[in-house]
Amino acid sequence: MDRIDLTVRQGTFHGIVGPNGAGKSTTIGMAVGLIVPDAGRISVLGHDALRDRSAARTLTGVLPDGLDLPERLTGAELLRYSAGLRGLSRAAAADRVAELIDVLGLAKAAATPLADCSTGNRKKVGLAQALLHAPRLLVLDEPFEAVDPVSAASIRRVLRRFVEAGGTTVLSTHSMMLVEQMCDEVTVIHQGRVVAAGPVAEVAGGLSLEDRFVELVGAETTGTDGLAWLVR
Amino acid sequence: MSTPVPATPGIHPAPPLLTTSTLLTTSTLLITPARMRASMFRRSLREHPGPVVAALAGLLAAAWLIRYATYGDRHTLSLFAGTWVLGWIVLPLMLGGGRGRVQPSHLRLEPVGSAAAATGLLIAASVGIGPLVSLAALAALPVHAARYGAGEAVAAGVGALLLWLAGLIGSSVALEAVGHAGGPAGAITTGVFTGTVMGVFGSVWAVAPWITSLLAGAPDHVVRWLPYFPGSWPLGAVTGPAGRGLLMLGGLAALVAVFALAYLALVRRALVTGSSWRPRRSPITAGSAPAPLTPARPVSAGWWGPGPVWAVAGRELRTWARHPLRLQYLAFAVVYGSLLAGLPTLAHTDRLLPWAGVLAALGAAAMSAGLIGLDGTALWMPLTTHGGERAEVRGRALAWLLLVTPIALLLTVAGVLLAPGVDPLAAWAVLPAVLGAGAAVPVWVSLLRVRPVPDPRHPTSADNPTDIISVLVASAAGVAAAAAPMAWLIWGPQSPRWPALVCGVAAGVATWFGGAWLADDRLANRGAEVLTAAGRRTRPPETAIPLRWDAGWYRENRATAWALGLLTVGWIPVMPQGLMVLVLDISGGWIVASHVTGGARTAVAVAMVALGGAMLLTGLVLWGRRPRPTS
Repeated sequence: MDRIDLTVRQGTFHGIVGPNGAGKSTTIGMAVGLIVPDAGRISVLGHDALRDRSAARTLTGVLPDGLDLPERLTGAELLRYSAGLRGLSRAAAADRVAELIDVLGLAKAAATPLADCSTGNRKKVGLAQALLHAPRLLVLDEPFEAVDPVSAASIRRVLRRFVEAGGTTVLSTHSMMLVEQMCDEVTVIHQGRVVAAGPVAEVAGGLSLEDRFVELVGAETTGTDGLAWLVR
Repeated sequence: MSTPVPATPGIHPAPPLLTTSTLLTTSTLLITPARMRASMFRRSLREHPGPVVAALAGLLAAAWLIRYATYGDRHTLSLFAGTWVLGWIVLPLMLGGGRGRVQPSHLRLEPVGSAAAATGLLIAASVGIGPLVSLAALAALPVHAARYGAGEAVAAGVGALLLWLAGLIGSSVALEAVGHAGGPAGAITTGVFTGTVMGVFGSVWAVAPWITSLLAGAPDHVVRWLPYFPGSWPLGAVTGPAGRGLLMLGGLAALVAVFALAYLALVRRALVTGSSWRPRRSPITAGSAPAPLTPARPVSAGWWGPGPVWAVAGRELRTWARHPLRLQYLAFAVVYGSLLAGLPTLAHTDRLLPWAGVLAALGAAAMSAGLIGLDGTALWMPLTTHGGERAEVRGRALAWLLLVTPIALLLTVAGVLLAPGVDPLAAWAVLPAVLGAGAAVPVWVSLLRVRPVPDPRHPTSADNPTDIISVLVASAAGVAAAAAPMAWLIWGPQSPRWPALVCGVAAGVATWFGGAWLADDRLANRGAEVLTAAGRRTRPPETAIPLRWDAGWYRENRATAWALGLLTVGWIPVMPQGLMVLVLDISGGWIVASHVTGGARTAVAVAMVALGGAMLLTGLVLWGRRPRPTS
């Protein structure tokens, strides 16, 4: 990352987009304390996330991308473990776990070791654990990757209700359509820097977000030339 | 019958999906995996001294076996040869021999048949130190048979070659089948077997008299059973009637064929499914009922206990019960500790029996020194939770204590009952100290030296991430904690002696808190660093060692060069000059201890072991401190 400056307004749905290797996951990792920046300041809902990590962690729910889970636990066991780790009472944990399993369609994953769950089910279990302690900020890295359309619709509704109730959601994605559908604001990251940020319509500037994105990152879409051996 | 499709103007029949030009030729297919393996092998030689040291030790052992073949007993030699091949099949499971192997799943997307793939993979498997050294060792069989005539030497050579093939293919089968057997039974079996092998090696002093008599000649009851042991068939074929000889060589060929068919089946399965052996995906319910859960019926995840520490402990206990490598480690520790304590009874001493629990706990601590690496990057959960680091450390230590304490107590009680004449106070006093240290210190060590497995979701025995330095540090902590009660017993007042128990408990509590404090500090301040290390799926760049003489490199890397030298040469005083003199009573002009007799001979051999040990330790320290390239 290179002197990144990113502000997410409270009570909004904020998308982070960028090409592969742009620094989206690194940004999210720094925001939630999984990566330590060399210098700078990170504030989460008014708390210094580098100095006062405890307060920031209590307020944040995280769904990282590509990290392992306690693979020998079933989905339900992972949620119970997460609830215990967060200090929830046994009764509250039982109620919330049952409700999340129901709403997110996790009945099968709840009884299957995570090592044997599909990528989509792992994402859903990961999302459930991020929601479990009722955070005020959700930080989600590629939350819809490999999730089936029906589950994705349910998740979108849950996240929309969360934001409408005053929560804040930050998600990174490669889907411009998702950002256009769901996000109030978007930040485009390229080569470790913010190249555009603001309300989605404003960033798009009258184009589709995808076209504007390609323009912003200065890329030329290739694929029209070469490969004669393939298209003969 | 198919009907030819008439050509329609403007519409061309679709070309065949695969043409001969896109299919790999058989010769390419057979050679390519071997080339891949050779590249991996060259790289490993450049990066790490381990293979060179292993090759040197293996060649020394092979040379000794060939020398023994010139004068030794036929049956004993057969036993050694068979045991060698058995070790070749089994040891890679314990030592992580699957790393750097070309695996069937690597060829899954290639247009190859399973027979050709299996042949290519076996050719690749023959490239490496194990096959080369084993071939040299089995040359002892025709060398021994030469005393019966040239024809007999040739026949024994054929038998040795078949035995070598059985070892080569058997080893591949073991790595593919047992190494991928994620189920508890496979893991526990591997742990029991490797624990037995190590336990016997660890008690070699106790079985030394038996080995000495074995070298002079195998006992009659062993000789009677030997014909049923394939290791004896190459020599059995040349010393009996011709018909029996043919039968034995045919038996070896059949064994090779059975192994080859088994390997072919595993390769076929891997090419189809991507894994030769994967546990069935099955839902787990709180009870044992396999019925799928419905939203109407709340999922019971069992008892987790109050608070974050107990949540982590609950997770850990479930993981211990389900993770194949953890089960393997636990089984190994229990068997290893029991055998170390029990085998000396062969030498008519039962003094170690009450120590079975202590030794098992020490083994379990040592084998727990790499657990963080087994879990991959799952640490992100405590790292994003308020107070998560502390809970992670305490919960892991608590789970280990809850798991190992009953086992250690049971083994100690059994040992005390089996050795009523031995004072068990020392073992009882040391046990809490070792348990306290074993619970917490390995957590710190595994956070300090993270060795991730390539696939935390489906680890195999072949992924064994055991790191010798971590194992030594975790064991040393237990030994250091045990020093306090032992010192009380040796130098303290002889009456009353019970305060040694209090001393042991205090030492255990102190090392528990010490280890937990170090681990807390590590995770709280370097959590992100630990997580990065746990997520590394490839080895970081290592110091490149030139394969040819490069004076400039040696000048610039003096410490690394010294480390290589010490790690290579240090085995000579330990093995031939020391342990082989003490255990096998060997002698010879270049054996220093041969030039003196009696107590002086023993003293020289012991000094040689100490000298070699110091050289190897220094080499390890220097190797650990070598500068690493930045990219």
